[in-house]
Amino acid sequence: MINLTINGKQIEVEEGTTVLNAARQNDIKIPTLCDHPNLTPYGGCRLCVVEVKGMRVPIASCTLPASNGMVIETETDSLKKSRSTILSLLFSERNHFCPFCQVSGGDCELQNSAYDEHMTHWPMQPQWTNFPVDTSHTRFILDNNRCILCRRCIRACAEMSGNFTLGVEERGSATIVVADSNVPLGESTCVSCGSCVQVCPTGALIDRSSAYLGHDKQMTVTRSVCRGCSLGCGIMVHTRDNRIVKITGDYENRNAGTLCETGRYKTLDEKRVRLTTPMKRVAGQLTATTWEDALTTLAQNLTPNKNKVAALASTRLTVESMAAFKSLFADGLGNDVVTSIEEGRPTALQAKYAEANGEAIEGKLDTLRTSDCVLLIGADLSETHEVASFYIKRNMPKGTRLIVVDPSENGMDDLANLNLKPKAGTDEAVFAALEAAIIKEGLARTEAKSSKTALKNALKICELAEEDVIDVAHMLAEAVAPVIVYGKGISAFGNDAVMDAMVRVAKLTGASDSERRGLLSVKGEANSLAAAQLKMDVPFDVKNRKVAYLAVGDDYISKRLLKSLEDVPYLVVQASYESELTDRADLVLPVNIWAEEAGHALNTEGRVQFAEAALTAPEGVRSNLGLLNEVAKLLNVKLNDDWRSALTARTSVVEIEM
Amino acid sequence: MTKPKISSDWMAGCSGCHMSLLDIDERLLEIAELADIRATPITDLKEPDESGVDVGILEGGVNNSSNEEVAHRMRARSKILVAFGDCAVFGGVPALRNMCGTQEALQRAYVDIESNEANSKIPSDPELATMSNVRALHEVVDVDLHVPGCPPDPDVIYYVLKELAEGRMPEMKDENLHWH
Repeated sequence: MINLTINGKQIEVEEGTTVLNAARQNDIKIPTLCDHPNLTPYGGCRLCVVEVKGMRVPIASCTLPASNGMVIETETDSLKKSRSTILSLLFSERNHFCPFCQVSGGDCELQNSAYDEHMTHWPMQPQWTNFPVDTSHTRFILDNNRCILCRRCIRACAEMSGNFTLGVEERGSATIVVADSNVPLGESTCVSCGSCVQVCPTGALIDRSSAYLGHDKQMTVTRSVCRGCSLGCGIMVHTRDNRIVKITGDYENRNAGTLCETGRYKTLDEKRVRLTTPMKRVAGQLTATTWEDALTTLAQNLTPNKNKVAALASTRLTVESMAAFKSLFADGLGNDVVTSIEEGRPTALQAKYAEANGEAIEGKLDTLRTSDCVLLIGADLSETHEVASFYIKRNMPKGTRLIVVDPSENGMDDLANLNLKPKAGTDEAVFAALEAAIIKEGLARTEAKSSKTALKNALKICELAEEDVIDVAHMLAEAVAPVIVYGKGISAFGNDAVMDAMVRVAKLTGASDSERRGLLSVKGEANSLAAAQLKMDVPFDVKNRKVAYLAVGDDYISKRLLKSLEDVPYLVVQASYESELTDRADLVLPVNIWAEEAGHALNTEGRVQFAEAALTAPEGVRSNLGLLNEVAKLLNVKLNDDWRSALTARTSVVEIEM
Repeated sequence: MTKPKISSDWMAGCSGCHMSLLDIDERLLEIAELADIRATPITDLKEPDESGVDVGILEGGVNNSSNEEVAHRMRARSKILVAFGDCAVFGGVPALRNMCGTQEALQRAYVDIESNEANSKIPSDPELATMSNVRALHEVVDVDLHVPGCPPDPDVIYYVLKELAEGRMPEMKDENLHWH
C-alpha cells in the first residue's frame, strides 16, 4: 500500500494506482476529459493537472502513478487558472457552439467541465476552421468539429472491441479522427458496436437513433441483460415515455460496458407488428377474442392426456418462465417433447458429456481475456457471439494467437494466425489428428500414447495438411494459457465422440488441467444453458401430437421449424409479435417482450443475472410467466417455482454461480 | 437613492434574447419598480443619451460596422456592460458563417440560393454597413458580465436584472450558467 496526501487529506491506495484514481477512490474530484475509468490512461487533455510538492510544474494526474509520501494539491488558484486556460484552448480549437449540439445541456462533459469552472465565455475565440463530418455510417455520425482529440473513441475501438478501426490523421490542431486509412466510416472495417459513441465526452460521435430524443437526465435508466446471445452482457436501457431511446453497455457488469451492434442497436430496429389481443381461429379465420375465452379454449385443448402436446419455448424467455414452462408441460401435463427453440443443438453434446462424467468441464469467459492462444472451432463468433470475438481480438496485438477451424468461411479468418479448413463434419478427426500430432511432437503435458498410424488416418478423414496440424499442435501446447472455444458447428448433432476427442486435446495441451478450464462453448441464445439444464434440449418432434404449444415470446422462428408444424392439428402460439407462425396458429396469446418483464438470465458461463423491466407492456398483454401460471391454475397443475434448484438438478457443463 | 438606469440594444442576433426578457412576465413590473428602464429596442427611445446609464445590455454578435458603432456607443455610455445571450457572448449562430467566410455566405444568400431570381446581386449600396467576421462582444469592447444562453432562461434574466437593479454583480454559476 502507498500513503499520500491530497489536499491535506491522508490517503492510502494500492501500489500502481494513478493519482487521479487515488483521488477518485477518496471522493476528491479532479476534472478530466480524456480519462475514462474503463480505458487505459492517455494524458491528452491535461485538464486533470495537479501540483505535486517538489515538482517544478503541474502534472497530469491520470498518468501519474501515486508514490509514497507524495503531497498533492488539486484546487490551488494557479491550478484553477491553468484549467480555465486549458478549457479555453480546447474550445478555441473547433466549433463548440453549444445551442445546436445534441449533447448540450447535461450530456456534454466538455460543457459540464466549463460550468464547473464557472466559465461564462471563451477568452480565446474559435479559429473558424471547418473539419470533416462523416455521415456515411448507418448507426452514428462523426463530427470532427466537436472533437477534442481525447482519443477515447480510438481507445474504446481498440481496447473494448479490439477492432482498431479508429485512429488519427494529420498533426497538431489539424489532427482528425479517421476510420482505417481515412475511408468513410460506413465503408470502413467498423463493426458498429458503438462503444466509441458511448465513451465520447462531447457531441463528436452521436447516435442517429437517439440523437435529439432527450438528455440522460430526462430518461429512466434500467439495468438489464442483453438477450442477443448467450454471453449475457450487462446493458443499461434508457427509456423515455415508455419507449427505448438507447441502450448502453453496463460498466459494472463483467462485459465492462462492451457491447456489439446486436446489443446496442438491433433492438431499436424492431419493426414487427405487436400483438395486443388474444385471437382464436373461428371458421378458418383468426378472430380477436377475450382472455377468458382464449384461456378456456386453451384449457379444453390441453386437458391432461399424456404426450398429447409438443411444447417449445424460446431461450430468450427468462429462466423463471422457462422453468415454469418445463414444469407445466413435462411434469404437470406429462409430455416428453418439451424443448427449446434451439432443440439442444448448441448444448446437448456437452451437457451429455458433463452428466456422464459428473463434472463441469468448461471455464469462464474471463479465460479469454488472458489467453495467449485460442483455438476456435464450430463457431463464427463475429456473427453469433460478437463480444466474445472482441475479447479475443483485443488481445491479438499483445501476441495472442488465433487458430480458426471452420470448413466454411469464418468472419475471424482474416485475423487468424492459422486457418484450418477441414472437410465438413470431421471435427472428431481434426481433434484426433491434433492429439496424435501433439504426442508425436512430444508436446503432451499429460501422459499419453497414440498409434503410429493415428495421425495419418485422421488426416485422411479431415483432409488437412500434416504440417498445418503440427503447427497448431505447437501453438496450442506451447502456449501458457491456451483456450479452446467451440460452437454448435462441431460435427454432426449427437456425435459424442467429438466431445471425448476435444476434451483429450484440452487436457494434453494444458487448456484444461487441474487448475485451468480453458474449454468454452458459446452455446446459442440468451438462456441456452438454462434450456440445457432444464433438459429442454431434445428435438421438437410433433409426430402424433394433437397440440403444439410454442412460447416464442419476441423470438424469431426458422422456416424449418415453421414447416415442421404443417401437420399439427392444433397450434397454440404465445408470442409478442405477428409472424408467419401466428398467422398459422389456432390460438394466439399476446405476451410481453424482453424489456417488459423482470427476470433472470443464465449466461453461457453459468452466471445468473437479474434483468429489471424497463418498459410497461401495452394493455391486454400478459407476462410470459403470469400466463403460464394462469394456464397451470386452470388445469390444476402445481408448478415448481424453485427455478434455482431446477437449474442445478443436472450436472452442468460449466459451474453455475447463483 | 436614485434608481439605476438600464438600457439595452441588439446587434447580430435574432432578438430572441429580448423575447426571453419579456418572458419574465409580471416580474418585469418589479424590475421597472427597481430600475429606470431607458432606451431599448422595445421602448420609444432607441439609444441611451450621452449622460449614460448604469447598465447597458447588448444582444447579438458584432458582424458589421453598424454593430461596431452600437457596441462602442453602449460601452462608452454604460458603467456595466452586459453581453446578453450566446451571440453576444460567443458569436452564436451568426458566427457559423465565419466557417466559410463572409464573401461565400453573401454569395450563397444573395446569388446562389435556389429561391433567388436570376441575375440577383450582392447588395453594394454605399449606405450599407461594411460586413466583417462575426465576433463576440468581448472581442470588440470590454465586457463586464457575460450572460450566456440561447436564449438565456427568463429566470436567469430576472435574477441578473434584479441583482443589477439592486446594485449587486450577479454570480454566473451553477443553475444560472447555461450555454444552450
